[in-house]
Amino acid sequence: MNDPYQILNIPPTATDEEVKRAYRDLARKYHPDNYHDNPLADLAQEKMKEINEAYDQIQKQRKASSAASQSHSYGYGSGNSYGNSAYGGAYGAGSLDQVRMAINRGDISLAERLLSGVSDHNAEWNFLMGVVCSRRGWMDEAKRYMETAVQMDPNNPEYQNALSALTGAGYRPNGFRSVHTANFDDSACLRCCAAWSCCTLFSGGGCYFLPCIYY
Amino acid sequence: MFGYIRPSKPHLSEQDEARFQSVYCGLCHELGRKYGFAARFVLNFDFTFLAILLSDAQEPECESCRCAAHPCKAQCVMAHTVALKTAADHSLVLAWWQLRDHIEDHGFFKAIPYRLAALLLRGAYRKARTFVPEFDASVQRHLNDLHQREREHCASLDQAAEPFAALMADIADCVDDEMRRRVMKEIFYHLGRWIYLVDAADDFEKDAHSNCYNPLRYRYELDGDKLDEQSREAVAASLDLSVHRMASAYALLSCGVWTSILDSIFYESLYGIGNAVLKGTYHKPPRRIHFRIKAEKNEETV
Repeated sequence: MNDPYQILNIPPTATDEEVKRAYRDLARKYHPDNYHDNPLADLAQEKMKEINEAYDQIQKQRKASSAASQSHSYGYGSGNSYGNSAYGGAYGAGSLDQVRMAINRGDISLAERLLSGVSDHNAEWNFLMGVVCSRRGWMDEAKRYMETAVQMDPNNPEYQNALSALTGAGYRPNGFRSVHTANFDDSACLRCCAAWSCCTLFSGGGCYFLPCIYY
Repeated sequence: MFGYIRPSKPHLSEQDEARFQSVYCGLCHELGRKYGFAARFVLNFDFTFLAILLSDAQEPECESCRCAAHPCKAQCVMAHTVALKTAADHSLVLAWWQLRDHIEDHGFFKAIPYRLAALLLRGAYRKARTFVPEFDASVQRHLNDLHQREREHCASLDQAAEPFAALMADIADCVDDEMRRRVMKEIFYHLGRWIYLVDAADDFEKDAHSNCYNPLRYRYELDGDKLDEQSREAVAASLDLSVHRMASAYALLSCGVWTSILDSIFYESLYGIGNAVLKGTYHKPPRRIHFRIKAEKNEETV
């Protein structure tokens, strides 16, 4: 196994508090909520496993060297809480079960074909369409379908979770504010960036040169 | 369509700025060396961003160079790397097809400057095509698809953006490592989707006047030449979703020395750019903007 300190990106001299902080930050980064219905969820799950193991290993090493025993791994993301693998077959809607199975296998086009053959567009159908779109990267449609599913069946926790994971703010490292496109009110960063205008003789910031000559 | 992405400066150290500059200049020199002087003008920040994403995590080697744009002060220029070469090849193919697109979109007289540019770039493009033939074919295929959807007045943002996003995702095929390729594909797909939508928002007014297809008009059923408040918020939310996807994919990569530059792009400046475009305050940097900024800085210090 690799050096656990390297995995947590801290020096071996880090204090217990620093280890915990580094672990928490990484656990936040690879949290299942950030990878719900995401085609890369398996990679995030691997990362999570890696940091959990690294953290446990450091804890064990430190416990062995000092009598005072302290905290233990938080066990984030263990098991199958990553959206993609969570679609069990315990639901009884007939052909929609097959859709869930296809999604579990990662066969998105089969899932879509099956869904297009279903005439009853109930809440679950809308939800599964949302999952398929989300896996495709079709975010606008994913959101629409999920919203419809939640509207049709407001008490279903699965639909609510999926929608809130989809529209959640995501991970930001320390030092970055939680901003959105709609509420970003500081244009200073953009203004300064334009200072890197070099190389292009005719246009300012090296934007595509033709329109700049032309206008 | 290209040229929107920039890092957000408050999060960068001087060293990071110097690194960014060295990639920018490195790509410019690479284009010049490989494809001749005219090819240097396809350079923009998006292609620089592409070169950074494709670069190795270690500190790049730099050499000091002068060029036509910097005749007096020698610049630190990133030495030739595989990433620069790949970025240069792909940039040229993308720029060429964008140029062809402009020629088709404009009338005879308005297209004259684009035709002239195409004349200058033709040789370079033909050379680039031999290095990345699959990518060239995929760009053509996806652009045909894009035009088809535009003719059909596609009312879904995702479906309208799909060909451009898929075209960008194909850049990732040049990455060897499988895990990295998957992550890059996701980043480039959503980068393409984001660029397409930002561009649609940016051109909304122009398209309304010239009666051209704009996906936002059909998606939100708008008649006027301005986005209303409600649809602006909806576009912003949709852009957010793509930025989140890019950020969560990027979190799986280790980018070494490029981390703070890329962090500032994925966690901040993409939101800022989207916001500025939607508010109508975004302008591609006009000439001599750096003098204006210097003046502003002086005022602050006084």
